[in-house]
Amino acid sequence: MKNNKSDNKKGGKSYIIVVGCGRLGANLATALSDVGENVVLIDKSAESFRKLSPSFGGITLVGDASEMTVLNNAGIAKATAVISLTNNDNTNIMVAQLAKKMFNINQVIARLYDPERECVYREFGIETICPAVLSMKEIDILLPSIPLGYLEQEGGEVNQKIAEK
Amino acid sequence: MKKRVFLIGGYNKTRTLAESLIKKGYDITAINRSMKHCKALAEIEGVNVFNGDGSQPFILEDANAYNADIAIALTERDDDNLVICELCKKKFNVKKTVTLISDAKKTEFFERMGIDSVVCAISAIAGIIEQQAFFEEMSTLVTMSKGRIRITQVSLPHSAPAVSKKLIELGLPKDVIIGCVLRGEKSIVPHGHTRVYVGDVLVLISTDEHEALAIHKLLGTVRK
Repeated sequence: MKNNKSDNKKGGKSYIIVVGCGRLGANLATALSDVGENVVLIDKSAESFRKLSPSFGGITLVGDASEMTVLNNAGIAKATAVISLTNNDNTNIMVAQLAKKMFNINQVIARLYDPERECVYREFGIETICPAVLSMKEIDILLPSIPLGYLEQEGGEVNQKIAEK
Repeated sequence: MKKRVFLIGGYNKTRTLAESLIKKGYDITAINRSMKHCKALAEIEGVNVFNGDGSQPFILEDANAYNADIAIALTERDDDNLVICELCKKKFNVKKTVTLISDAKKTEFFERMGIDSVVCAISAIAGIIEQQAFFEEMSTLVTMSKGRIRITQVSLPHSAPAVSKKLIELGLPKDVIIGCVLRGEKSIVPHGHTRVYVGDVLVLISTDEHEALAIHKLLGTVRK
């Protein structure tokens, strides 16, 4: 674990763990750090951290977040939020469930490419972001002449609709 | 009707399990992501094989996992195994789910997530190796309640402090019972005043934490 910059002086109260330093993870971690939040960013490859903006003032940690040891090293016990954004749905599901069930983290967000696995995480109060659903909503806005039905419905039902296809 | 068992992921373990379970009369379906492994598994007589990622619901659906009796997740990734078991349980109504895990620290988590049986191969194997390496005179026959209760066989060499003593004199811990003494062809169900001799084989039933102390009292060897 290394501190990329001197301690954040603005000192946000929250302690956010972001798992996966892809484009989304890197951008989110930088944005959180820019507004003064404490961020720990985990990725299994040190190379990935090159995507980070030089302004990132959080902590980076190399390791597989599906291992308890890595999550403990990241200080998951004191985290206020855990956001799992790796490119592996199953890893994101497990990290999110670990955070909820074993560490009672209030705010847990997972990205899932495949909305079909919904039944697995639905009952745990894990919030999910599904790129396919978000894209469909956006396309629905861009094509006002063809209502696709993605704008009225919320969350679960929309996921269901995509899952059926 | 035959009990339906799904083996998901894994190759060597799946093969061995499939061969043994088929002999015992189970209906076996193997799901594997690798085409090569699928072809090899298909050579076992009577196994249904599906090629695909078992953590994807449509693959489980194709393989007709609905209402199966047992699903065993054997992939090498803990997260895949977790999702496979949860899908089987919640979406496919499988009666019992069993998973292999590699990170022993997650055992409790997996159990809390409702998986019926969690097997940590690495700690199980380490336990066996430790036993083989450190205790020549004993071998664990059975473990129950996730390793908390063990049945162990101990034979008494000349050097053992227990030789020619009554069981009552041995000062064995409370949670240890000597269930049986095997002497030559005879087997004796002992009581406190039974004496044990060189060459006797004692069958010990004990809790995990008291086993080492009991072995120490019997054989005089100290753990590690």
